[in-house]
Amino acid sequence: MAEVSKYVTLISNDGFEFVVLREAVLISPMIKSMIDSKMMEKVVEYFHYWYKNREKEDVPDMDIPAELCLELLVAADFLGLDSKKPLLQPRGGY
Amino acid sequence: MAKDHSALTDFLASQNISANRIREDAEARRNAANASNAQTASTDAGASSTAANGDADELAEAEEAAQVATAADKATEKKRKAQAAAIEKIKKGKAFKKRKRQDEDSDSDGIAEAILAERAAPLPGQMENCEICDKRFTVTPYSRAGPNGGLLCNKCGKELAQGNKDEQKQKKKKVAARGTARRQVASNRLDGVIGCKSLMTMCIQTLVNNIDLADDLGDMPAQIVDRVARQVSKRRILTPMSLNLFLQSGYEDVTVYDAARLGSDDLIRIFQMVPKLRNLKLKNAIQFKDEVMDYLITRQTPLDSFYLHGANLVSEESWKKFFVAKGKDLKSLRVYFTDKHVGDDFTASLKERCPALKCLKIAHNQQVTDAGVEHIAKLDGLEHLGLQLITPTSTESYVKVTNSIGKSLRTLSLTGESLSDMDDRVLDAIHENCTSLRKLRITHSEVMTDAGFARLFKDWTNKPLTFIDFEKCRHIDSSKPRENAHLNGLCSDGFRALMSHSGKSLRHLNVHACRHIKREAFEDVFSLDKEYPELENLEISFCEEVTDFIVGCIFRTCPKLKNLNVFGCMKLKDVRVPKGKILVGMPNAMGMEIEGTED
Repeated sequence: MAEVSKYVTLISNDGFEFVVLREAVLISPMIKSMIDSKMMEKVVEYFHYWYKNREKEDVPDMDIPAELCLELLVAADFLGLDSKKPLLQPRGGY
Repeated sequence: MAKDHSALTDFLASQNISANRIREDAEARRNAANASNAQTASTDAGASSTAANGDADELAEAEEAAQVATAADKATEKKRKAQAAAIEKIKKGKAFKKRKRQDEDSDSDGIAEAILAERAAPLPGQMENCEICDKRFTVTPYSRAGPNGGLLCNKCGKELAQGNKDEQKQKKKKVAARGTARRQVASNRLDGVIGCKSLMTMCIQTLVNNIDLADDLGDMPAQIVDRVARQVSKRRILTPMSLNLFLQSGYEDVTVYDAARLGSDDLIRIFQMVPKLRNLKLKNAIQFKDEVMDYLITRQTPLDSFYLHGANLVSEESWKKFFVAKGKDLKSLRVYFTDKHVGDDFTASLKERCPALKCLKIAHNQQVTDAGVEHIAKLDGLEHLGLQLITPTSTESYVKVTNSIGKSLRTLSLTGESLSDMDDRVLDAIHENCTSLRKLRITHSEVMTDAGFARLFKDWTNKPLTFIDFEKCRHIDSSKPRENAHLNGLCSDGFRALMSHSGKSLRHLNVHACRHIKREAFEDVFSLDKEYPELENLEISFCEEVTDFIVGCIFRTCPKLKNLNVFGCMKLKDVRVPKGKILVGMPNAMGMEIEGTED
């Protein structure tokens, strides 16, 4: 990107576009990490990795660079890319 | 003449090798070589030189050479025939077939010839030309065969061997890698991981692999921090350094699943760095000593829940001080693997010191006796109770506990081999008193009867349970293992009653080794008109009467089932496992674990 735009466009699922000041959006750590192209690339890579391997049993792991893994972890949590479905009752307690 | 023969000649003769023939052949070869040398020499030197001398001797020699040559021709003809026969023989042999399989594309004659050449290789002590560098050298038993079947001199042999070794190493590495991968796949399957891992799982893996690089986990949700903590402990890399990742001043929960590598100072640091700590769980906390307890007592840490595993060095005095200082707000107390200092006085002081206590678990404990169990009967706020005592305890004390606090209990877990004499009175007391149980675990009883279990579940006012574990509640008689005249342990009727009472909401059921449950009972319970909508984990190992049909019915009647354990169910032969389900412990040679492939 030659020049980073001052604004970010957020599109809702029913097609509304919101043009928001980039700096204002950064309050959300999630969106902050998602508008970073490196992060976006990895998430998209995972989508395809999952799609390609969804029928297979023995799947090699995707390569995740160590420097991205903390941010990617937050993104994965936000996007619900977690195998453990939330239990109806918390496991703790006893 | 026969007397002149040496033992070697005799031996060679018996092997169809004639020393004379060898000598003749060698001579013929040498002469042929000389003759050709002489010829080339003569052409090189031109007509003017020595060849023109026309020496009679030489002529004679040449004549002789020609004669020898015809002899040699005959010999080679013979040899060729013998070779052809040998090749035919080799083609029928094992080694040939094996090689043929290895390189499919090369022609069969080539292989047979190569084998023949190997067999006919010169014997040690003879001279030979190296196949690669053509140098003449003495053959030794260590001379290596070249790529085309000939022998190699020492130097070339070494070089070739070096190349081979590298290749072998790579191969070995590859094989080893495949072995580990297979082991990992099996491990993942047993963990229920099939197919793609989630992005989160992979991120956590990467993080744990590079745990030294991380200085801070940032603003992670508590459940992710917990998953990282689990992985770090699983890999046994929770060190004083990596502990810091899990200590942030804002945290209310600290869980260290493996504190074995932490010292007392590190444990003290937990209380220094996390002032708002409410839930503390420490496993393998060997270095949790009096000094750590003393430090905890001086802090304002608002501890709600305290889980301590393996802290054998905390003295009785220290526990008393802890109760005085922190007992008032304590809601949950779980103590595992303490041999000496958690005893009857400990349970006696709970009533006075920990009025808010809701959850109590004492496991692997050698000091608590019947008197200690009876003190627990006074803890009327208790909702979760778990006891695993080593000292034999009597049925009466458990009945007392159940009678007095059973009404509010949501969890009751009585386990351990010391309970082998616990009888039906406990079950009756549970039936009478408990109305809000969700989780029930009673194991190892050899005296409880099928009728007792059936009475417990029949018309029980308690809601259906979500967790039941009656592992090893069965009759034991090593001389007549199949007989069970008094129907001890959980048998058919108890099992039927259990499933009709709790089947609707059961998520986890363990009837491990309850081997007197009959086939008919299983077939009734899992008949196709029934459904157990919540059941996820089922353990029916060592229930001898389980058949392929029953397992098939289980898969159909339990839509949410994830894991079914069938170790030691020897009647199982061929089970079709639906996709996404895991069947563990099939008694077949192919492996102990089958994971669903059918739709």
